[in-house]
Amino acid sequence: MSWIPDRYRELRAALRGARVEPDLTEEFENHIQMRTEENIVSGMSPDDARRDAVRRFGDLDSYRRETRVIDERIVRDRRRTDSLDALRREMRSALRSLVRNPGFSLIALLTLSLGIGATTAIFTMLDRVALAPLPYTEPGRLVVLASPVPGVKADAVWGLSAAEFFYFKRQSRALESLGGWSSGKVTVSGNGSAERVPAAFVSASMMNVLQFRPVAGRMLIDEDNRPKAPSVAVLSYDYWQRRLGGDPQIVGKAIDISSRSVQIVGVLGRGQELPYERVGLWLPLELDIDAQPVNAHYLSAIGRLTPNATVEQASAELAGFTKRLPELFPTAYSDKFMTETRFSTRVTGLRDDLIGDLGKRLWILLGSVSLVMLIAFANVANLFLVRSEGRRREVAIRSALGAVRGHLAWHFLTESLTLTTVAGVCALALAYAGLKMMLALAPADLPRVGDVHLAWSSVAFTALVSLGAGVLFGVLPLTGGAGGGGDVMTLREGGRGMTSSRRQHLVRGVLVAAQTALALVLLVASALMLQSFRNLRGVRPGFVATGLLTARIDLPYARYQTYEKVERFQRDLLARAGAISGVTSAASGSDIPLDGYGGCAAIFAEGDAEQKSEEKGCVTTLTSTPGYFATLGIPVRGREPTWSDVESHSGAVVITKALATRLWPGKDPIGRGIRGNGSTPPFYRVVGVADDFRGIALDKPVIEGAFYPLMPIPGADLWSPPRSMSIVLRTTSPHPELLTASLRRVVSELDPNVPLGDVRTMETVVARSMTRLSFTMMLLGVAASMALVLSAVGIYGVISYIVGRRRGEIGIRVALGARSAQVGAMVVAQSVKLAAAGVVAGLLGSLAVTRVMRSVLFDVSPTDPLTLVSVSALMLLLAAVASYIPARRATRVSPVEALRSE
Amino acid sequence: MVRLDLVKGTLDMLLLKALTAGPMHGYGIAQWLQRTTDDAFNVEEGSLYPALHRMMERGWVKAEWGISDNKRRARYYTLTAAGRKQLREETATWGLFIVAVAKVLRANPA
Repeated sequence: MSWIPDRYRELRAALRGARVEPDLTEEFENHIQMRTEENIVSGMSPDDARRDAVRRFGDLDSYRRETRVIDERIVRDRRRTDSLDALRREMRSALRSLVRNPGFSLIALLTLSLGIGATTAIFTMLDRVALAPLPYTEPGRLVVLASPVPGVKADAVWGLSAAEFFYFKRQSRALESLGGWSSGKVTVSGNGSAERVPAAFVSASMMNVLQFRPVAGRMLIDEDNRPKAPSVAVLSYDYWQRRLGGDPQIVGKAIDISSRSVQIVGVLGRGQELPYERVGLWLPLELDIDAQPVNAHYLSAIGRLTPNATVEQASAELAGFTKRLPELFPTAYSDKFMTETRFSTRVTGLRDDLIGDLGKRLWILLGSVSLVMLIAFANVANLFLVRSEGRRREVAIRSALGAVRGHLAWHFLTESLTLTTVAGVCALALAYAGLKMMLALAPADLPRVGDVHLAWSSVAFTALVSLGAGVLFGVLPLTGGAGGGGDVMTLREGGRGMTSSRRQHLVRGVLVAAQTALALVLLVASALMLQSFRNLRGVRPGFVATGLLTARIDLPYARYQTYEKVERFQRDLLARAGAISGVTSAASGSDIPLDGYGGCAAIFAEGDAEQKSEEKGCVTTLTSTPGYFATLGIPVRGREPTWSDVESHSGAVVITKALATRLWPGKDPIGRGIRGNGSTPPFYRVVGVADDFRGIALDKPVIEGAFYPLMPIPGADLWSPPRSMSIVLRTTSPHPELLTASLRRVVSELDPNVPLGDVRTMETVVARSMTRLSFTMMLLGVAASMALVLSAVGIYGVISYIVGRRRGEIGIRVALGARSAQVGAMVVAQSVKLAAAGVVAGLLGSLAVTRVMRSVLFDVSPTDPLTLVSVSALMLLLAAVASYIPARRATRVSPVEALRSE
Repeated sequence: MVRLDLVKGTLDMLLLKALTAGPMHGYGIAQWLQRTTDDAFNVEEGSLYPALHRMMERGWVKAEWGISDNKRRARYYTLTAAGRKQLREETATWGLFIVAVAKVLRANPA
């Protein structure tokens, strides 16, 4: 064996190292001796001869010292290259032996890579999302302030009002500083083009709270927030680089934001961003401390705790402040408001607020994949045992012949370490690909997802796990299984199973059953998700998505202040867009289905009796132009409003069938009146009832919606002119996105300062509304396929092991006349029996687990019998297939050989 | 008799050249050098050893213990392929050096 000469050579090198000095002494002395002898031969006296030889040699001690240093260096270097060589040779021999058993190696590699890869991916998610510190100075001191109002809606949470903001900021002792912001998009125009840019309107204090530093110019200061202050802006680093080419002279220049000239005063450093979103522009919020307090909670707020304050202290302090609101600001906060809404102020650590319970979910997920990984390890350990069964005699003989135990261990160790190292590399690649796929499919609102990438910590994690597994598998064959304490026993017993292995037998059986159960649960869950997904795809949204193109159009406030201006623009726009070749109709609405129908507003219906109306709760309320329903492909009973309705302020509205049924059950809604605020006339008149359609999400009920006209009727104002609307184009093309350029041209011809944003096909919108489901489905699918592979490997390993152990018995059966088909069937039956136990356990498990899935399932029962039966059958079939190879091996047992080896 | 000091760096070349004849021990090399040059160089024999061992470290020569003609244990040094190559290079450089020095000495200073 290769390690013996290596060890020997190493030993010799070490000895040689110790002999450097005597060797040199001998060499030099002999040199002088030879010179002396030659001198004598040429006629010198012995004394002179010796003296001459020494003189010619020079300073013996100094030469010896010099040479010794060199020799010692040589020995050290050689020792190092020798051991490296030894390791390289050992690994090469391990690789060869792995390649010689491709079946074993591939299965072990696949199992390990999957197990480690999945765990690495989840670990990376957890590490980046929940464990990595937030990118702020002392992030632990940052807290989020918000106002839950369970009285309004169970999970409704508002921001702060300006009055609260000033009050808290000035009075709080627990908070060192407090910043507020509200975000939106602004239109930046110039050079004949316009762009919508995400922006944060902030209090100057926000930048102190997050402790930002500018890389150029200055940050915002309190004066910028004063009313009538000059318009200024601070750029994010990213926006400065990306849109303005990193212009070093940018500070002091002006840009056109929403038709106003704004001076750029500074640029923030790289990576200085809001915790929740990325914005390009930081604009000062107008905050007037002297303004009349208003009950408008539009400010998101983040505070920085004073160094020793806790979240609880801040909470208690702010709760006290909140109680005093009605007393301090009676015009904004009535006692009635406080009790009815159950208004309070909540303080949460920024990290908790940001990642919510995602951290906890990721820990659970990591726990489960680690479990799966451990099962994978157990399986591979089993495979190693199965293989070492075959080597038992080899090992025993070798031990008997005097191979040192340490050498055998070293050999097994390099072999398993080589395998797990390769597996670790594959696992990293898998984790990388898996993360990429997960991020591509992840719902957009998953926090900190942008920060997720394979980091050094992930690599370290993989390395640690792979090495740990390698050591485990390397040591395993030396304990219990083979070559261990019972070397001599092994020889004497002829490798036959001993009674002590009965317990191991049982443990293996339980392991296989448990894996089968786990795989079954996961398969059932993912099969249910798959069906939900299919059902969801089958849902008719109520509109025709094919051929629809949509885009967002935001009119700048400064130039479109009145209803008339907005109406004129929309009318011109729709006329021109409708004339684009390939477009059959065009319309606009304040939102499009499945993309922004989230909010709701109050509605009052004209009463039947005595013209008195009553409030009918919160319904989806939008503005739409004539042709909205026709363009979306939603049938309308009655009629849609026309442009002459709009012009004459006739107040013609369309409501959905679901709303009509709720407002006036069993009665004809056409001609009846509604309005959004106040319960006295005038009313908007229902002229049409739209067929029901899905507005919020495909798996949510159809909406109850009211669609108001562009122009309000006098005396019943709408909220404000609908400057921000989505345009929809019905086209004859299967690829409506090809018309984007034409639409863009039409818009910029009308007004070059109006940007076109969010251009998408309606099919994209529909697909995106399914991401939540498809993401969960993908994760479950991956887990289920992993579990499937794992349990196949597990069954294969155990059955092979059992067949190996029963060779003798099988040989006797064959000798007594059992046919090979009978032997094969016996082995397969044993495998199926094991799996059946797992299936029973798994069915019970999935009944418990899938119950909690009810909320994500769509139109499929968690106990869908067809799913349960077919998945169970699949598992049993898998067990039969996995035992095929060992069964074949059993049928080939030759009775003579088997009995001889007994 | 005038004894010459060795030009810096030439000792290695001389030792390599000596070994082209076959394996030799340190004393043998000293003897050969002395004979070939009529004892022209002022070299202490002990200084051969650090030089030889340094060349061993660089892989130009190998060493092995053997028995000398007069039945003493001695370390025999052998030229390696790398050593042969080194000798060729040094010889070439030396040739250029000699030619250049000769040109300078023959020239008429203007």
